[in-house]
Amino acid sequence: MKRLLTGDRLLFLFYLTGCFLFFELNYRYWYRFMEQYNLFLFREDFFMELLGQPGGFNEYITAFITQFFLLPFFAAGSLAVLSGIIVCFFHLFLQHCGVKVSVIAAIAPVFLFWIYPVESIASIVAALFGISAALGYSYVKKPVVRYVLGFILLLPAYLLAAPAHLLAVALMIVYEVFREGKARFMTAAGLLLWALVIPLLAMRTVYVLSIREAFLSKHLYHPEYPIPVSFGYIWCSFPLVALLIYTFRRQKKVFNKEWMNAAALLLLLVIIMGGFILYKQHPLEQAYRYDWYARQQQWEKIAEHAGKHPVKDKDALVYTNLAYAYTGRFNEALMRIPQIGEEGFVSYAPKTRLGLIEASEVAWLVNHTNAAQRFAFVGVLSAERCVQPRLMKRLIETYLVNKEYQIAGKYIKILERTLFYSHWAKEQRPLLNPEKAASTDWIAQRRELNPVTDNNYDLTKALPNALAFLIDDHPENKKAFEYGMGYLLIYKDLKAFMHYMNLLKEKGEPIPTLYQEAICVYYSAVESNPEAFRSYAIDPKVYERFQSYLSQVQRLSSTLLSRQYGDTYYYYAQFVQSPKRQNR
Amino acid sequence: MNNKTKKKAARIALICTLAACLPGLGFILFSCGNKPDHAVAVSELPHIFPDYTGVTIPVNIAPLNFRVEGEVKSCYAVFAGKNGNSFSCSGKNNIRIKPGEWKKLLADNAGQPVSVTVFTRSYDGKWTRWQPFNLYVNSDPIDNHLVYRLIEPGYEKWHITGIYQRDLETFMEKPLIKNDMTDYNCINCHSFCGGDPKQMMFHMRATHGGTYIINGENIQKLNTQTEQTISHLTYPYWHPSGKYLATSVNDIKQFFHAVKELKMEVFDLESDVVVYDIENKAILSAASLITKDTFETFPAFSPDGKSLYYCSAPALPMPKQYDSIRYAILRVDFNDAHGRIGTQVDTVIPNTKYSASFPRISPDGRFLMYTETGYGQFPIWHKDAEIRMIDLTNKQPIDMSALNSDDTESYHSWSTNSRWVVVSSRRDNGVYTLPYFVHIDEQGNPSKPFVLPQEHPDTYDYSLYSYNLPELVNGEVTINPYAIQHVARNIPTEQVIFR
Repeated sequence: MKRLLTGDRLLFLFYLTGCFLFFELNYRYWYRFMEQYNLFLFREDFFMELLGQPGGFNEYITAFITQFFLLPFFAAGSLAVLSGIIVCFFHLFLQHCGVKVSVIAAIAPVFLFWIYPVESIASIVAALFGISAALGYSYVKKPVVRYVLGFILLLPAYLLAAPAHLLAVALMIVYEVFREGKARFMTAAGLLLWALVIPLLAMRTVYVLSIREAFLSKHLYHPEYPIPVSFGYIWCSFPLVALLIYTFRRQKKVFNKEWMNAAALLLLLVIIMGGFILYKQHPLEQAYRYDWYARQQQWEKIAEHAGKHPVKDKDALVYTNLAYAYTGRFNEALMRIPQIGEEGFVSYAPKTRLGLIEASEVAWLVNHTNAAQRFAFVGVLSAERCVQPRLMKRLIETYLVNKEYQIAGKYIKILERTLFYSHWAKEQRPLLNPEKAASTDWIAQRRELNPVTDNNYDLTKALPNALAFLIDDHPENKKAFEYGMGYLLIYKDLKAFMHYMNLLKEKGEPIPTLYQEAICVYYSAVESNPEAFRSYAIDPKVYERFQSYLSQVQRLSSTLLSRQYGDTYYYYAQFVQSPKRQNR
Repeated sequence: MNNKTKKKAARIALICTLAACLPGLGFILFSCGNKPDHAVAVSELPHIFPDYTGVTIPVNIAPLNFRVEGEVKSCYAVFAGKNGNSFSCSGKNNIRIKPGEWKKLLADNAGQPVSVTVFTRSYDGKWTRWQPFNLYVNSDPIDNHLVYRLIEPGYEKWHITGIYQRDLETFMEKPLIKNDMTDYNCINCHSFCGGDPKQMMFHMRATHGGTYIINGENIQKLNTQTEQTISHLTYPYWHPSGKYLATSVNDIKQFFHAVKELKMEVFDLESDVVVYDIENKAILSAASLITKDTFETFPAFSPDGKSLYYCSAPALPMPKQYDSIRYAILRVDFNDAHGRIGTQVDTVIPNTKYSASFPRISPDGRFLMYTETGYGQFPIWHKDAEIRMIDLTNKQPIDMSALNSDDTESYHSWSTNSRWVVVSSRRDNGVYTLPYFVHIDEQGNPSKPFVLPQEHPDTYDYSLYSYNLPELVNGEVTINPYAIQHVARNIPTEQVIFR
């Protein structure tokens, strides 16, 4: 045991632990978010279709592993394990090259996965394929056999896991350089040429591919975006590290004693990993966290978290407002968190992955079924693999509400072939029966609130107009009403606000405190009409506090005023500048 | 031979015997398990997908593989031709026919029905014999290739799209051009000159934008926007001589509906019809219909090249009156020697009650097929859109109810022998467009349509693409996709002129 926990093994264990902690603590929700952009189907044709593409098997493995990212600790665990295997294989490869080197040298390249965390593990799995091929190559000692094997291995490395063949050939060349054989440069040139020719041959014979797809496969990164530079850094780092070791192979160690060297390396590793764990976080981790809660319908958790932590960006703010609406705290909380205007309610003309999901969520909240469907549809199309199971679920829901059973059935069938969405899909299947659907509460409720007056206002580009139509059709559409009123209050459009207040008054429903405060402001600053003012059931406490504010507003310092009245609408109306409107 | 060797030899012999028997044993087990035994006959047609019951098929179509719906342990089908030649197939829940047997069956039974008897076995082991149905093998062959664009049915955003060709006699599908080769731009509106695979055009939008005209191995990349026209060339139709292209120029807009019955609307703020002279790279003013008070779109030449048909509607303020605009189909003479149109305008299909689009005249010149909808000219999102046809010899409408469904039917393309039509239909699920083939007899009567056969009957269930603009072509398109890519990426666009 003592021997096991010394030197390289100890360093390796530290690395594995650190890797797990880094991804679990700092990227947990990001990888859960990215899970949505894979759809692993348990179908023979799914496998065969992928196998028919260069790098398709790599994509199959990637999709298979990624589907488990929904489970706690799985993403961090699998990243740790995958990078751990890469470290082991690369370390073994370096040993086969004939250099005795610490495992820290093999860990160095995979640290780049920490610096540039990948969206999809496809590139990590492909790297593993590449290093495995190179390791297999390095096991063969007879030069001629090895050369032949190298040529053979590059082909499956390409077909199964392109661009694994590029990494494999780079390491094979490094190996030959280390061996210092006579034919090393000839062999290296031959292998390199073959690795470059394979994709070109594939393009001209079996496949019709873009040059990028031919070399790097279709799924490694989002095909519509440029290849990130980090790909080059990461993939070049393996042969570069090996070559550096070769260059400094005769360098003496810093310390004479083995344990001192190990201790120094361990300390270095701990410092670096500690720094990463403490300071390198995904900038949108809060938004991804909220997205995860939203997927689980855990709106309470978002509200709670937002109550304890500052809302860092507009995506998180959209989710926070959604959560407040779902948990019945929208009016109460609207003034308690900094609002940025329309963009805090819904993204303007969304194009990002988060923006499209949020737009669909907001449309679903306010019962604009067509808009929820549209943004879900675009969200699916925009996904790099043209699938998005979470938005497919939303599509099914919208089609069920709109009585489009055949297309709902199509998506249900697709989700039934998955591991984690099949249960939900099977639960929806009975709803393809129109009678069953009509008697299902959530569908019936949404059908009741479906728009009846057609309009062409885009919810994300003309939020107030789109909401106005929803409210005019169904004044009982509480969520649309709250969002609409929130919009009017934030932009201080009190005349329009009072127009809609009449709807609330007619229904005889209790008036939220926020609205009462706005009514006070309206009748004191816009229209002096005591009789009309008295027709609203204003809580005496609200009115007294307003009066107290009026009497103190000139006397109190701004700090005190903010402390005492910062959560009120009249304070907002007087001291907070309205956010800029979108150019709509 | 010592005992040890004997034992070893015996072991090897046993293994070899077993190995030799296994395939036979497997065959016996498999066959026994899948051949219907004491089947109970029912008078119902089998529930199969795609629905091929009673369809008329061309003699050169690929095997009609299908799936039996419902919970079945296995299924079995017997295909028997009236002129002899029969075979059977079995599977778990799908029937996948051997191409060789299928081809021979159709060849032997051209002009005759082929009877298909389906048997299914339930999980309790009992066989059911379903009511046999016929496939009517028509001796008129269909053009052997279908070219279509595969695209997600979104229109607001495209991701991966491409123009593909499918050999209708096999299951082979090949890309003509994919947008991942051209920086994810939009590729659209492919069109062929009278079904000739060597004369083709299509547009690219955004990156590498232009109109691409292919003639044999030659590819032209054109900038077709001029000062006198409102947009690039849009919806095209070839003159049968291959010298001209009639196209619309449109200022296209779209919006999304809020009510559940409607999804989205595509409309023109302005549109005209122009004729483009391919050889001289010029849009011909003398052959163009450029007016401010009417919208003109979707042109089509008659097969003799002497008439130009197009859709026309009075210009209404859009989108305010998007649901009031109705297009008629009009006709003018076309002088192909001088590239001029006549002055007399005939109304072929009036717009009194409905709106017409996509006029297409059968290559024999006898029938005019078009799409009819309540309003507008972009019927793909209109559930009421249906295919209509008139006999041009007597201007009488022909009953097309056998062809239409409750959902959208929109684009259509004739086979060069005028006996087959491919129609875009959303009858399967209301969102994804699939190509359906219909036989049109000499009197113009349509048969029951059948969907493009696929090797695996589940293909359409898991596909997330629409088959957009299906065009029948009488041969394989041989232009190399990389040649198109090369022109798109490296060759500058040529400006066309307006004269």
